[in-house]
Amino acid sequence: MERRISYFKQKGDSYIFAASLGLVISLGMVVWIILVILTRGLSFFWPRDTVLVKLQNDSAYLGEMWESKTVYRVDAEGKEHKEEQFQLKIGNRDLYGRDFIWLTRAQVSEESDPTEAVTIERREYGKFFGFIRLVQIGDERFEQPGEILIEKAQEAHRLAIATRERIENTQEDLNNLMQPLANLQREITLLQLSPQAKTEKGQQKLAELQEEATKQEQSIADEYGILNQELERLTLQNRSIILTVATAEGAEKEIYFSEIVRFFQPNMMSGPAKAWIYAGKLWEFVADEPRESNTEGGVFPAIFGTVVMVLLMSIAVVPFGVMAAIYLNEYARQGTMIRFIRLSVNNLAGVPSIVFGVFGLGFFIYAVGGSIDQFFFSDKLPEPTFGTGGILWASLTLALLTLPVVVVATEEGLLAVPRANKEGALALGATRWQMIRKVVLPNALPGILTGLILAISRGAGEVAPLMITGVVKLAPTLAIDGSFPFLHLDRKFMHLGFHIYDVGFQSPNVEAAKPMVYTTALLLIVIVVLLNLVAIYFRNRLRKKYRGSTF
Amino acid sequence: MKNVAFGKKMLFIWIVLGFFAQAVMAQNVKVDERIPRYKKATSISGNANSIGSDTMNNLMALWLEGFRKHYPLVNIQIEGKGSSTAPPALIEGTAQFGPMSRAMKSKEIDAIEQKYGFKPTALRSSLDALAVFVHKDNPLQCLSMEEVDAIFSKTRKRGFATDIVTWGDLGLKGEWQNQPMRIYGRNSASGTYGFFKDHALDKGDYKDSVKEQPGSASVVQGVTEDKFAIGYSGIGYQTSGVKALALSEKKGGECFDGSYQNVTSEKYLLSRYLYVYIVKAPGKPLDPLVKEFLKFVFSYEGQEVVVKDGYLPLPYEIVMEELKQLD
Repeated sequence: MERRISYFKQKGDSYIFAASLGLVISLGMVVWIILVILTRGLSFFWPRDTVLVKLQNDSAYLGEMWESKTVYRVDAEGKEHKEEQFQLKIGNRDLYGRDFIWLTRAQVSEESDPTEAVTIERREYGKFFGFIRLVQIGDERFEQPGEILIEKAQEAHRLAIATRERIENTQEDLNNLMQPLANLQREITLLQLSPQAKTEKGQQKLAELQEEATKQEQSIADEYGILNQELERLTLQNRSIILTVATAEGAEKEIYFSEIVRFFQPNMMSGPAKAWIYAGKLWEFVADEPRESNTEGGVFPAIFGTVVMVLLMSIAVVPFGVMAAIYLNEYARQGTMIRFIRLSVNNLAGVPSIVFGVFGLGFFIYAVGGSIDQFFFSDKLPEPTFGTGGILWASLTLALLTLPVVVVATEEGLLAVPRANKEGALALGATRWQMIRKVVLPNALPGILTGLILAISRGAGEVAPLMITGVVKLAPTLAIDGSFPFLHLDRKFMHLGFHIYDVGFQSPNVEAAKPMVYTTALLLIVIVVLLNLVAIYFRNRLRKKYRGSTF
Repeated sequence: MKNVAFGKKMLFIWIVLGFFAQAVMAQNVKVDERIPRYKKATSISGNANSIGSDTMNNLMALWLEGFRKHYPLVNIQIEGKGSSTAPPALIEGTAQFGPMSRAMKSKEIDAIEQKYGFKPTALRSSLDALAVFVHKDNPLQCLSMEEVDAIFSKTRKRGFATDIVTWGDLGLKGEWQNQPMRIYGRNSASGTYGFFKDHALDKGDYKDSVKEQPGSASVVQGVTEDKFAIGYSGIGYQTSGVKALALSEKKGGECFDGSYQNVTSEKYLLSRYLYVYIVKAPGKPLDPLVKEFLKFVFSYEGQEVVVKDGYLPLPYEIVMEELKQLD
């Protein structure tokens, strides 16, 4: 008996079992969390059916059923009461003040799902649930209920959206036209406000600027007039395309068609029709700008900011990491000093990310950015250009954070290069640098890319250091755009990770915004996976390419 | 016998319905019609920064959205990491707007005066009420300030005789009696934390058991998920899952809920102004960008945005006072 136990011990079956159990548990948790995010994130955009609930006290609500549960409450005498509760998304935030309401089954006198009920997604105040009463296109009025009304509404919506697009285009033309003049005028006002304006030199400059401004104003006056007139005409036109809707209780409300994102009748829609709406919403989420202080609309600026930041970080971290690793591995004399440096680099990986954030704030933003402002942008001071958080500083901070990962992975790659290859190159008369460039680096490239992959994964998910180095809730402009110099390193940016934090913890309408948190989390995971896949693809290609060069 | 039970049930239903109706009504606040509409100035452009309160983050973002409809060439970047971040940003000049959910402390004002030689200008931008939230199924309707102090504070400066730990200590029966309260609050960088400490706890200390949350919405989330929880947060963050309690000065006194009338008449005890601080040299004109933005804030449209975000608009008189400060 005793022998058998010791044999069991020697074979170590119990340890293998424990190890595999640990693996199963951790993998299971990863799968579980991804499943939760997937189901909650993806189901959010599916158009739900609406129900009309009439209550005992004659009030009525139309909305989407979100949750229902049974509650047991124990009263003072110890008796248990059972209560069926359900949560209804009633929308109409401008009328009710709140998106959701909890009701009990006992309150309900009648429940139905009217086919003619419409769900209207608006640009402001969220969804409206109600019934179409009247469609107005200019002087035409349609109020005969039935299919024709819906068709007319759709026609009006198309018209309004087309006009809206033209308004936006005209507005953009107008903005582009005005931008140089606006910059000039801004310069004038800032000069007028500064103490410089009192000096003779300031006065002279002011006069020059004003002359320049008048000249510009005259040159664009005609075009400005035309565009402005067009804009006014279009705006007026859109103000005449109106939808009148009624709530479940019959209160009427007018909505401009141009303020409607989309509308549909969920209760009479077929599966494919819903899928079409679903696809449209998904696209809106990925490609549109956020609305209603980030609780609605899309997250495009956040996706853009995340990707640009990760790319900038990669550009910064790879050269430095590789150079450091090559020096440590190929040039430096191995000894206590190098061992100490290597230990420090490894320990750097364990420093909490917020510490890097504080360093970024103190060193990059205040010290480096502050000096850049002093030397190059002193005319704009006290308004800081680089002396405040921005995408460059955030990327560099993250580059520092991920540096150890790249150094360690590159060193591994360098160590894997066979000694014989290196010595062969040296024996053939190559200098050390030639040997590194032609033999070591190509062979170590897959290792370097592994480092990059790890760095991307770490960097894209990091939020804490970004919060103090340049991420904002709402950045009106992207870091890359059409205006010179195209890449604006000083701009603040939006980030998916911060977006999750902000919408989940800070938004005033947290019930309505909660599903958005899951969707954004899903998106962040997808983006990290995509970035990694690209890097893995290149690594595999490189591996194939250099396999032949090994002796 | 059956009839009586039915009657009781009906009564219960009516009470519940009454509560819901009231909750829905209470949110529908109208902005004073006398407040001037916003008039577009010739042309404004440029960049500005706003650094400060996270409570007002959404408000600033919504104001900016409205403002940019008039001036598409304006860019204002909004950062909200807590009210305490506003004064340093104003001193450094990194921000032109310092939204704060509490008034500046004298120390902070001194620091700004030292740098610029004059005091910062405090503008009351909107009204907010803090609410003590409980789960929607909680039978409690009203608390006195002493009780609030005894729930959240370990020092009990308002002088309630005993510590309140369980719901039974507040007189709740049944399943509530022996349940300990789980307390949710804000983190110490937030103005909400400071305001509640000063006004509800009489500058006493919070209990160690308060779960500090990183955002106002997450306090509400916590209370929604946890039936036996209690927490404080801005009343604008109320959801259908929580109930805001009415408050009274003393035990047994008259209770007032956080409705607009009670806030403006100062009967509701936990109301506060939300400030936007700016640095304005006395006698000198303000940067037109800053001025127009603030004029928008103090316009009918700007105050409508306040309502949209769940806060309370300013009364007419205060709007006029603040507009005078801009000149």
